Amino acid sequence: MDIRDLMPWVAPRGAEPVAGGEHPLRTLQDELNRVFDSLVRTIPGAGAAAAVAPFLGEGPRIDVAETETEVKVSAELPGLEEKDIEVSLSGHLLTIKGEKKAEAEQQLLNYHVNERVFGAFSRSIPLPAGIDADAVTAAFRNGVLTITVPKTQEAVKEAKRIAVKAD
Amino acid sequence: MVDTSTSAGGAGRGAEATRNRPVYTPAADIHETEDALVLLVEMPGVRPDQVEVGLDKRVLTITGHAAARRHEGYSLAVCEYRPGDFERVFTLSDMIDEGGIEALMKDGVLRLTLPKAKAEPARTIKVKVG
Repeated sequence: MDIRDLMPWVAPRGAEPVAGGEHPLRTLQDELNRVFDSLVRTIPGAGAAAAVAPFLGEGPRIDVAETETEVKVSAELPGLEEKDIEVSLSGHLLTIKGEKKAEAEQQLLNYHVNERVFGAFSRSIPLPAGIDADAVTAAFRNGVLTITVPKTQEAVKEAKRIAVKAD
Repeated sequence: MVDTSTSAGGAGRGAEATRNRPVYTPAADIHETEDALVLLVEMPGVRPDQVEVGLDKRVLTITGHAAARRHEGYSLAVCEYRPGDFERVFTLSDMIDEGGIEALMKDGVLRLTLPKAKAEPARTIKVKVG
């Protein structure tokens, strides 16, 4: 169990799932979310937009994971193509920028449901010190962008272990 | 035309998901052309072979099993999405040609084309003299 599951105020700001979970409280919360989502969806006009992930403004949802030798940033960008995504690194600030365009045919047509959000976004993520800016790689697969940032040799070496002594 | 079922996916239709992982409701667009309905469903991180589209008595079920996107061996510093499955259920009207449904998965977006059924020509039944 993740301690964060018990602390909704530090929960990730991404969309909450509608079902599942490993903790009873989490399961109850998921259940309530699901009931609420289905209620919202019955209101015409309100649509399921409230129940689905926000995309614009806040930018895409991301994960940042690291090991001793590298940092991995992944972002959910469904419906974009490689050419629509711009990744840049300025100092220690990694920026993911892009524009999600609706297909031309979609703009004229008769909509029944319209939940997906289009437009430009930008999101900047501060990276830790000691990264190797020249060796950054980015891959886009199945709507998920994964950026791999290796740490420099020095940074890996410098991580000194400090012995904790008892008095 | 197409109704979103008010329950959230198959799990909401009385059955509980058997796998202990979250089930998300993916964002969808549905628009209509002259001869078809087009559904676009966002399921980031789902490979084409992980998508299941089922049709049973006009109930269309779309399921996407996302890979566990947590990076193995890495410690998470920021976590805004949890790995999980996507599920959504729609009820089709009679007008859909169920045999001609096409599904295409690209860049995390599933595109389903549901052709409208052609109106059957009116039939006249001959009455025989018995």
